[in-house]
Amino acid sequence: MSLTTGIELVIDGLARGLSFALLGAAITLVFGLGNVLNLALGTFAVIAVVVAVTVAGAIGSVAVGALTGLIVVATLGLVVDRTLLSSVYRSEGEERIVLGIFVTLGLAIALDGLMYVYVPLTYSLAHGVPGVELAGVGVRGSTVLTFAVAIPVLAGLFGFLDRTRLGTATRTVVHDETGALLCGVNPRRIRTIIFVVSLVLAGIAGLLRAASSDVTVSAGFELTVFAIIVAIVGGVRDLRGTVLAGFGLGLVITAANFVVGAYLANVLLFAVAVAVLIARPEEIS
Amino acid sequence: MIPRADATQIAALALVLLPLPLIVTAGGATYQLRIVALFLVFATLTVALNIVFAHTDQLFLFFGALAGIGTYTTALIAEAVGISAWATLPLGALAAGALGAAVSYVAARRGMTVIVLAILTLALQLAALEFFVGARDITGGSTGFPFDGLSVAPIADLAGVDERVAFAYVLIAVLLASLVGYARLRDSRWGAAFDAVRQDPVAAEAAGIDVIRTKVFAGALGASIVGAVGPLYAQSEGYVLPSMFEFQAVDVLVLVMLVLGGSRTLLGPVVGAGAIVLLDEFLGEIGQWRTAALGVLLVVLFLYFRQGIVPKVQDRYDAYRSANDGPDTAADG
Repeated sequence: MSLTTGIELVIDGLARGLSFALLGAAITLVFGLGNVLNLALGTFAVIAVVVAVTVAGAIGSVAVGALTGLIVVATLGLVVDRTLLSSVYRSEGEERIVLGIFVTLGLAIALDGLMYVYVPLTYSLAHGVPGVELAGVGVRGSTVLTFAVAIPVLAGLFGFLDRTRLGTATRTVVHDETGALLCGVNPRRIRTIIFVVSLVLAGIAGLLRAASSDVTVSAGFELTVFAIIVAIVGGVRDLRGTVLAGFGLGLVITAANFVVGAYLANVLLFAVAVAVLIARPEEIS
Repeated sequence: MIPRADATQIAALALVLLPLPLIVTAGGATYQLRIVALFLVFATLTVALNIVFAHTDQLFLFFGALAGIGTYTTALIAEAVGISAWATLPLGALAAGALGAAVSYVAARRGMTVIVLAILTLALQLAALEFFVGARDITGGSTGFPFDGLSVAPIADLAGVDERVAFAYVLIAVLLASLVGYARLRDSRWGAAFDAVRQDPVAAEAAGIDVIRTKVFAGALGASIVGAVGPLYAQSEGYVLPSMFEFQAVDVLVLVMLVLGGSRTLLGPVVGAGAIVLLDEFLGEIGQWRTAALGVLLVVLFLYFRQGIVPKVQDRYDAYRSANDGPDTAADG
């Protein structure tokens, strides 16, 4: 392996890591706030892609298409939160965790089922960002796009949580729900906002994936699984850890893809998840 | 010995099931026979989930992988050694059972909550499926291979019935045996231990119950049933395909069947499996809505119908009896 290939792998790995970080953050935020593990996350990412590609094809603007996709996903998120998740939040403790798994799993299967019927094709975004070459190191356009989009989004997310009142309120609820209530913070409202935010993050990750490769309905479940693994490895209530885990796993999986091939690389990813769960089972409980 | 009420229920079920393969093939329809086989296979899988999940709170989300491991172990060893798959079927069950036991042991040892075990087993499920598809040299990859190792043709010829009909009776025997075993288990010390461990592990431990041993026993038993049913499923389909063992193709169905029929009941798994297989057939006629409908059903069941059909019917029946002939029941004691 030459040095150039090595550098290209690292750049690809970082881009993949950024996508992983967005997905992992989407799981971590919602689970940290309300103990709901959103198994429908990847499905919403695919919905964003399908809407974006359809709209972009109809009016000829990828940017408008992508924005429409995110708006649709955010609206759906609001509806899901107000209906299904309200029922889930009524129960407490372990009961809520189990209910959350099954309700979001059912939602994912239902939405996937509908999409298999109505949008069974492959979808990709013709983003038009040219690839660049620096000192013999080639970087694909989709990778440039990923850096250009994901870095500001993640920075914005941290800025929101650290600097705004709403972000502070969110962190308060994560740390101490009763305390937050006493300070006049309404946890239910925060959960709604953060759920919508998490779906937008997943939507962005989906759109970035569609910029580099074809997306089908079956990619939804795969994205969900990646998101959960990233969140678990990073510590499912720890956003910074999750983002770091995203980068780490992105680099590892890209290198493994190159060295041992796609299928063993995926097996490796699941093995990492199993190892982390066995080592730190108290992490998510 | 099993409780009398359970024996009656199993006998009644046997009376319903026994003529079924002959009835559906009366007009020579093999398609309906395939549906019956599917129902029998999934009913047995649901009995296994009932033991593991409903009784000991271990949410195994890798039934597909366990069935696959049982199937590939059985089929591949039989072919490599050149003996009948009937001889290697116990090995398949053993392999799946060992994995189930190991997972249960680690989970109980490390104090994993329901959700941690769920994610752990889901990761194993997906890893196993990657392996089934990816290890082409061993498993034949995504195109799979035809499988006829568990054929009952010689016996069917002797009895003068169609081979597939004979095999349906094998499946019926397996389902009934699993129900008898379940009834015995529930009535035994193990059953009492299951209840204690599920309701309060700390109190159970204090009462002298070995919590880890109890969970490992349930995990190993459930997993080995799945490992044994997998090859039977492959035989009735005539093929071993990775897609048969997918999460969506096995685990989701079995979960819905268990919750719909009724957890911790004898006939719940059978009723649930029957209802879903019938629903599936019904939906098959009005388009490709099958997956979507299953998802909606999963949500609705967990939000509004956690109790299940069998307990619901039981409640209605009891209420009806006490309303109509209350004194009689009291006299019966």
